[in-house]
Amino acid sequence: MLLISVVVDCVSKSYSYGLFSKRYDKILSDISLEITKGKTVGLIGPSGVGKTTLAKIIMGLEKPTSGKILIEGTDIWHISSEDRNISLKKIKMVFQDSQGSLNPKKTIKQSLYETANLMGLDVFKGESLILELLDRVGLSSDIFCRYPHQISGGQNQRVALARILLVKPEYVILDEPTSALDIAVQAQILELLNNLQKENNFGYLLISHNIPLIEFMSDKVVVLDKGSIIFQGDTKEFTKFNSLKNKNNFIGYK
Amino acid sequence: MTHHIEELKKYAISKLNLNAIGITIFLLFLFIAIAAGIISPYNPWIRFEPYIPPNSSHFLGTNDMGNDILSELLFGARVSLIVGFGASIIATVLGVIIGIVSGYYRGMMDEILMAITDIYLMIPRIPLIIILAALMRPNFWLIMLLIGFLWWPTTARVVRSSTMQIRDASFILSVKSLGFSDKHIILSEILPNINHVIIPKFMLTIASAMFSEASISFLGLGDPTMKSWGMMLNFAFMKGGLINEMWWWYLPPGLCIVAVVFSLMLIGFSLEEKENIVLGLE
Repeated sequence: MLLISVVVDCVSKSYSYGLFSKRYDKILSDISLEITKGKTVGLIGPSGVGKTTLAKIIMGLEKPTSGKILIEGTDIWHISSEDRNISLKKIKMVFQDSQGSLNPKKTIKQSLYETANLMGLDVFKGESLILELLDRVGLSSDIFCRYPHQISGGQNQRVALARILLVKPEYVILDEPTSALDIAVQAQILELLNNLQKENNFGYLLISHNIPLIEFMSDKVVVLDKGSIIFQGDTKEFTKFNSLKNKNNFIGYK
Repeated sequence: MTHHIEELKKYAISKLNLNAIGITIFLLFLFIAIAAGIISPYNPWIRFEPYIPPNSSHFLGTNDMGNDILSELLFGARVSLIVGFGASIIATVLGVIIGIVSGYYRGMMDEILMAITDIYLMIPRIPLIIILAALMRPNFWLIMLLIGFLWWPTTARVVRSSTMQIRDASFILSVKSLGFSDKHIILSEILPNINHVIIPKFMLTIASAMFSEASISFLGLGDPTMKSWGMMLNFAFMKGGLINEMWWWYLPPGLCIVAVVFSLMLIGFSLEEKENIVLGLE
């Protein structure tokens, strides 16, 4: 299992403040979970419990205070930074703020070509791959010359997905991918995400505070509260857990 | 709602005109500075009869040395603009580099760079230049360098705070997670998104540098071999132009300084306003 999954092992994170008198703020404590290829793990919890911080730690954008992140068996903070970058290439992230996940001063074309360039594709190969991927996420090349604010939120999210497909990840972190979209578009994006998972055998970590969405998409659910895991199990167990919790009004939302 | 947008548009148009006025005045002075050799009636160093009031052969009269004041004024535009631009380019480049590095990397680097910035901000700049200019031989290039190396802290502060505002924006995080280098992120993602802050700041720094050069020259610490507007004012005051009510001597350089600084202010502020309106309408 270790070689086809991303394992978060007892990760804690605290921030320190001040130059001389250090104060610490504990954000996450002893988080353990596993993202397996082809499966979706739902991560749910109220705002401000550290869901996005956990995502950033898994992405390697922040270093955990203690604990390990194992990407297919490799501990990313105990290898050289070149090796870490190679390992981290397997994980990519879709952000909540669909409009904001593309540079507002660049056209869609520039954003996509730049990424193709980064992947070492020449102009010709890059172009055919970009067109293919745009088609795959349901966009035409009409939007090429537009800026992110000139296309809709759903289209932006599709462009972001096409850009991620371009770099061929194996695991994708979805940070509230649909919360900024209206219901009809949400359904389309979720369907697209499901299809992409089937085609590419992606391992998803779906972050949300929308319980029906998590129940619909996930194979396993992790509930986070005040920086620690209060529930981890498959979706059926989660439904039971959730109905119990609702009686005690624990999570504090519907 | 439409009424509201109409009003905003009107506001935007009025600001655009201010911008156009600023640019027109500024381009006029730029033209004067470049073409001073062609359009000025005399060489500013040639001596005529001193203290002549304005007449048909000397539109702005002559000074105590008998130099033609109009020619001095036209050549002075060159010196003042070069000092302003040169100092502002140095200050902006330094400020942008320091601001972006400390805003983007944060941590210890930020603490150290901002401590240096704070120290620079505390230095009383004009008195320092006066002391340095008095110790060293006053020189036009030296004054430009001194102003440039002392005027960056405010730019660094502004750039740092704008960088910090967008460094955690999702588009920066997403290119970071795609594997782009820090160099690419700074040059291609951050810089284009904060140039609306840098350009007005650059304009205002030119104005400030020109004004400082004029102040320093007026105090008699400028380059005596260069005819800048500040130097002209200095001579007008020292050699009794003001006491003898020779308005054609002390008024034109003062008005020129005011006009250029005003035009740069107009450009700077209207660029800022335009950006705000664009952001507000979206």
